[in-house]
Amino acid sequence: MSNSPAGAGAAARPAAPILLYDDECAVCRRMARWVRGAARDAAGAPSIDVRPIGEDPEALRRLDPRLDIWKVYAQSHLLMPDGSILIAGEAVAEILRRSPGMAWCAWLFAVRVFGLRPFQSLLNLGYVVLSDVRPIFGCKSCGAPALWARPFAWIVKTANRRTGKGARAAHRPNFTPLAAAGKAKPALQTPPAP
Amino acid sequence: MTHSPAESIPNGRSASRDAIPTLDAAGFKARVLQGRGPIAVEFMSYSCAFCGAMEPVLQQVAETLRSREPIFRVNVALEADLAGAYGIEGTPTLIMFSAGREVGRSVGLAADAATVLEALTAPFASQ
Repeated sequence: MSNSPAGAGAAARPAAPILLYDDECAVCRRMARWVRGAARDAAGAPSIDVRPIGEDPEALRRLDPRLDIWKVYAQSHLLMPDGSILIAGEAVAEILRRSPGMAWCAWLFAVRVFGLRPFQSLLNLGYVVLSDVRPIFGCKSCGAPALWARPFAWIVKTANRRTGKGARAAHRPNFTPLAAAGKAKPALQTPPAP
Repeated sequence: MTHSPAESIPNGRSASRDAIPTLDAAGFKARVLQGRGPIAVEFMSYSCAFCGAMEPVLQQVAETLRSREPIFRVNVALEADLAGAYGIEGTPTLIMFSAGREVGRSVGLAADAATVLEALTAPFASQ
């Protein structure tokens, strides 16, 4: 499994799906680690290439000209070998399909009822909820929690302060502290010529 | 200075479909420190959701101000030394320069064009 940055794949179609994830977000890192371990083919080899998005929009465009770095940071993107790009809940369903331990439930997401895919819709909703609450779980680069999640954010923050876990420093709203803004991230490497 | 799409910036990175050229340290020195008129620089990171939220607004303002006050972008993830030199504590941070000298600063997300425009032009109003 490659840990190389997003641009290291060149423009050719990937042999395996490529999952692009936000390396600055603790929740996303944990998910990426799970995918690395879970998504395996019949021979036990990794079936999904998991890569951090990085900070170079040109490197992403070299990977696929349709990729916009802001959109890729906003939602999980899975680049498929057939050239399609699966986003958010659709990407999650495909990852589950390719994970032997979870494949038992993956068929559900393809079930159609009156032309709709109710389980896929539920998964999409679950993705949005998780995405909205990421800031509550300590992702400082993920922005503010969604409006509906702000009371929960306040409860978690208050509880953390009371138990001494929360940061006591004054928090500036609408601002990503430098430590969470990719400060320590190395510059992307240009992929070597094939 | 031009802001055409797919522009290749001397001493900077390419900025296709982008009204805000990205500068590296050498580009910053050439375009900002040695620049004369009003110049604004956004210190940002692509992984910063607040920067992403401000991006369309900043693009709109950059188009409006293109002849009066060029706006550049510095990615703090790639230009940590530059961020350190200007005491950047987080992103997004807008710094306004005149004759290579900082004359104003705006920290945090400004979600509407009027606020961004005010932040970018106010430091030069008295000049």
